[in-house]
Amino acid sequence: MQELVGSIVILVGAFFLFSAGLGLLRMPDVFTRIQAGTKASTLGNILVLAGLGIYHPDWSLKLLIVAVFVLITNPLSSHALSRAAHAVRTPMAETTVVDALRDADEATKEGRA
Amino acid sequence: MTKRVFSLLAILVFAFIFAGVAGGYSERQTLSPLARHYLTAVPQDLGGANVVTGILITFRGFDTLGEVAVLFMVAASVGILLGGSPTQNRTNQAPRPSELVENGAKIILPLIFLFGAYVIMNGHLSAGGGFQGGAVVASGVMLLVLARPGTGLHQGFLSVTESLAGVIYVVLGICGLWFAGGFLDSHILPKGEFGSLASAGAIPVISALLGIKVGAELSVVIDRFRS
Repeated sequence: MQELVGSIVILVGAFFLFSAGLGLLRMPDVFTRIQAGTKASTLGNILVLAGLGIYHPDWSLKLLIVAVFVLITNPLSSHALSRAAHAVRTPMAETTVVDALRDADEATKEGRA
Repeated sequence: MTKRVFSLLAILVFAFIFAGVAGGYSERQTLSPLARHYLTAVPQDLGGANVVTGILITFRGFDTLGEVAVLFMVAASVGILLGGSPTQNRTNQAPRPSELVENGAKIILPLIFLFGAYVIMNGHLSAGGGFQGGAVVASGVMLLVLARPGTGLHQGFLSVTESLAGVIYVVLGICGLWFAGGFLDSHILPKGEFGSLASAGAIPVISALLGIKVGAELSVVIDRFRS
């Protein structure tokens, strides 16, 4: 029973990891690709780790540490990547409506002037 | 259209190759005589729990010294190529890293350095060793440089540390020639209790020296590429 539940949770995690890969292929520009990859792969990683924790309960503490590390680093690194992409003016998809970071930058510039 | 056909063809070829590899694979049931020799000799003779590190640092220690020398030459040539020109300070123009990156680095950096030290110190007990741990430490330095562009690495200190580690490594090797069976023999220190931190003769010491040397070298390379 325990092994079955663990395997199913790992399978769901694998599905999210797969959808992260699919998002990388299907999304139109850098930012949406980063977003798809990060969100889906963070959730997929956590689910795979959780499934392993159900499968082997004696590993749970170590798996929890790995999960916390993934939760800290994965969003942070994609945040840094997309900011860098924004700083070098990577073109956005044509359907983009709002660019909050550019607006914020302009607001701080005007505030300084 | 032709592009699609080519991709399909490539996928089919890869599928064929991998099917052949997967179908022809059968797990080996017995150890080869060489593998059995190493598997018994490393724990008994050297006292190390990790067979790979035992082989890497003692049986083919001279080769490892050569690898370290290659890395040293890479660092030196990068220094010559990139360090000669007058360094323009471009850090002022670059946008400041965001608050999230700065604060996140504060949390993660100690963890990375701790993990690197753990990997270096446990090379003779579990997976890891000087090279891997040194690379982990250098990746921490990379994060530091990215999150705080203003931090200056002390090049002179790093160079001296790295050279000292290399010199002590060679001196340990010559000690092996003098007191034990040959160059880089790890029997110059007592074997200790199997599986504890201070065991396996000189292997942990050499591993730590390798870690310091590799970490310092890669940090210097990263710093060279920054300026």
